[in-house]
Amino acid sequence: MVNKRTASQWRTAGRRRIAAARDFVEETDPDALVVGAIGTVALFGAFVGFLLTSSYTSIAFVVFLASVGYGWWRHQELTARGVTLAMTVASSLILVLILAFIVLEAWPVIRYETSELLGIPVPGLGAFTSTSWDPRSNPNSFSMLPMIHGTLLVTAIATLVAGPLGVAAALFLSEIAPPVVREFVKPGVEILAGIPSIVYGFIGFVIIGPWVSDRFAIVGQGTYLFVGIVVGLMALPTVVSVAEDAINSVPEPMKSGSLAMGTTDWQTMTTITIPAAFSGVSAAVLLGVGRAIGETMAATVMLRNEPKIGEPLYNVFYGFETLTSVVANKYGSAVGLQESALYLAGIILFVSVLLLSVGSQLIEAHMHRKLGGAE
Amino acid sequence: MAGATDAGVVREETSREETVAGATVGLAALLFALGLAAQFDLVSLTDEVAGFRTVTVLGGLLLGLGLAVVSFGAGSRLDLVQTDPDHSAGLIAGVLFTGIWFVVGGLVASQTLGLGGVGWVVVALVVGVVAFATTAIPREDVGSTLPAGALAIFFGLAMLTGAIGPSWSWTPANFPESQSVTFFPRVVVPVMVMFSSLVVGWAAAKAYGGFGARGRHLGAHLLIYLNALSIIVVLFVLVAFVFLKGIDPVAEGVAFGPGVGPETTLSFDLVIPFVDVTLFGVSHTVAWPVWWPFVMNGAAILNDVNGVWPAVVGTIWLVVGAVVLAVPLGVGSAIFLTEYAERGRFTQVVEVATNALWSTPSIVFGLFGAAFLVPRFTPQPKKSLLAGMITLGFMLLPLVLITSREAMIAVPDEYRDASAALGVSKWQTIRSVVLPAAMPGVVTGVILGVGRIAGETAPLILTMGGGTFVTAGQAASVVNSFELTLSPPFVTNPELTQATTALPYQLYQVILTGTGATAGVKDITAFGWGTALVLLVVVLSFYAIGIATRQYFRSKLQYE
Repeated sequence: MVNKRTASQWRTAGRRRIAAARDFVEETDPDALVVGAIGTVALFGAFVGFLLTSSYTSIAFVVFLASVGYGWWRHQELTARGVTLAMTVASSLILVLILAFIVLEAWPVIRYETSELLGIPVPGLGAFTSTSWDPRSNPNSFSMLPMIHGTLLVTAIATLVAGPLGVAAALFLSEIAPPVVREFVKPGVEILAGIPSIVYGFIGFVIIGPWVSDRFAIVGQGTYLFVGIVVGLMALPTVVSVAEDAINSVPEPMKSGSLAMGTTDWQTMTTITIPAAFSGVSAAVLLGVGRAIGETMAATVMLRNEPKIGEPLYNVFYGFETLTSVVANKYGSAVGLQESALYLAGIILFVSVLLLSVGSQLIEAHMHRKLGGAE
Repeated sequence: MAGATDAGVVREETSREETVAGATVGLAALLFALGLAAQFDLVSLTDEVAGFRTVTVLGGLLLGLGLAVVSFGAGSRLDLVQTDPDHSAGLIAGVLFTGIWFVVGGLVASQTLGLGGVGWVVVALVVGVVAFATTAIPREDVGSTLPAGALAIFFGLAMLTGAIGPSWSWTPANFPESQSVTFFPRVVVPVMVMFSSLVVGWAAAKAYGGFGARGRHLGAHLLIYLNALSIIVVLFVLVAFVFLKGIDPVAEGVAFGPGVGPETTLSFDLVIPFVDVTLFGVSHTVAWPVWWPFVMNGAAILNDVNGVWPAVVGTIWLVVGAVVLAVPLGVGSAIFLTEYAERGRFTQVVEVATNALWSTPSIVFGLFGAAFLVPRFTPQPKKSLLAGMITLGFMLLPLVLITSREAMIAVPDEYRDASAALGVSKWQTIRSVVLPAAMPGVVTGVILGVGRIAGETAPLILTMGGGTFVTAGQAASVVNSFELTLSPPFVTNPELTQATTALPYQLYQVILTGTGATAGVKDITAFGWGTALVLLVVVLSFYAIGIATRQYFRSKLQYE
């Protein structure tokens, strides 16, 4: 359903907008317009001032507050609308600002790691072609591959834990559990999400780490396997709650119809509920994957914190570094290019989780359209 | 075949065969528990039970279980037992058993028989294909019992014959020495026991239900109930473990009684700004009736009990700052999106952006805070409480926005229409009808969100954290530190622009430094458990309050 507008349609739409704006200006009190304009300019000025670290930022902000105060007194209706609009814009702006600032900070290392592909220099390519992270030797090299390898292993293990267990728990909560049991299990899963990651990390560091090293006769402490399991446990509640919503959104008549045919409720689940909710459930798993990728503290304190790739590649018993742990570990001690490289790790994290989030939202929207029929 | 007579889905009587199958499920559960106990050294594998080593006993039990399950399948196939199986165990079971047997075959071929690269792959493939054929091709009763029973029999024989005995171990040869790993029986045997008892338990549950629709139903329910149970057990064990480990350091030196606690001086001076003339001052000192050193002390060499007071203060200020920033912004945006904006491209984009912000990793927020906020409050870039507050506020914002919006959408349109019919303006309607009705949802969302950010560590490392062990005197005293100046920005507060600590950050520092000798902390691990317990209690109380509020309002407010 791609909505292609022709140029003339765009023009009419644009003209309508302008006309509406002109109507608004004509109908509104000039006093309100002036105050609104002052407020807008002052807020924008405060933002610019903040970016430039100007000490006049506060003046602009006070002017903004004053204009809002005056507007509230004289034109409450319009002011409320304007202020909530400004808040919406500010909230949406954060995502853009995050991307802008981490790209800006990562730019030096992206330029530094330029390497040639088919004779054309590609900025940042070097960080993905070599495998060494070495901030000391000359020339330095900041490869992201060791961390990407670690993140992939941890995420894969976490998904193996959180995916099946989470979907099964969601089925249990929405279809199987008697109401009394449900009242206990559902808050339990939520509280599992509430345990701070640093507490998981502390348990992992003090108890699990030494235990694993002893059990498997491992040199030193830190394994991707158990970090993955812990991270999977932390991603589990996300999977459960989103998958449960998806399963609940399957219309009751579909299930009743199946049950009326004399099927067991497990048959109804496997032939009606799960297929109908499949896209929603996969969106839940995607979100869980996103959580696992971004999980920081458990990985930071349970891993060895030396960026290198294990041998053989599937050796999950030795855990070195992930994209998140490298930032938490090295930020502060890193300067110059190395600090910039940490922002590059941030970009990879941000973009991959952003894609997962948007992807799962598209899937969910698709599912609601399919199940809800024409809204 | 049973089809001719009364093969219903529901059965009333319990036959002898069902009793046996039920007992098998019970035995499998017992074995699973034994395996779990052995994994955590509660049962020693080398001890003797009735003259046999535990490994041998476990092997024998597994063998018996496997034989029992295979005999259920055979009995059903030969029509000795009345069941109503489907024509096949299904593709999913087939694929799962293929995977299991592929791994088993591959490990045996490559490690026990020592076959090379191509050899073990061929063997593993053959074993996997045979497992698939055995599962998917014959009737369901054979297909779901034979591969499962065979697994238990195989594992049982390996333990019985001593192929995997106490002195056995396996070190994969292709792992370099510096990254080597060794599998000992004390790990492998419990895993084998637990895994095969799960598989056999599932097959026995199917047999108990007489295969077919009812059998699948029972088998699936067994696994799903087990899964839910284990999630709750893990939660309970985690919380109980932190509690038991942390209660000693936290409770050390607690005293009750009038006047035992620290003295607090409440004072208020009215000062004319810029000229520093005090108009009048009031001051009153009270002594607390509670002395709780772990929470009320800082860390210092001379303390009897070292504590986390500065971290508690830091966490409180962080939460306050984040809420002050995020709640107005989030609720305001939600009002605009729900009440003013027309549903269309714009609201969709904002919605997607908000959800994306919600799943953005905390460490990325930390990087953003470090680049965007840290350099802007002081002439030299410096980590500060203010930067931490705003960063956490940004993290809280999407949750407040999402939950407020959901709560506002849930307010029925009739409410708005009724208000509009009275000739009330839109903003009046929002203020006096929509917001009060949506308030419970907003409050719940804020409380749960606060629980999440109060435990957040990663952004604090990058934006706020300073100091490993902090004395009580260094606790942030934000309220008393506001200063008015004549030049812009007119109001300054050195406490806000200074690095400080918070509970999760303190715990991270405990792990990082590993010693508290410089600050007089004798047992750093106990100190860590204490900090973890305080943090857990703070965070979980937010969750408990949030969940309880939601339950309360949900039972009270039913719009439909």
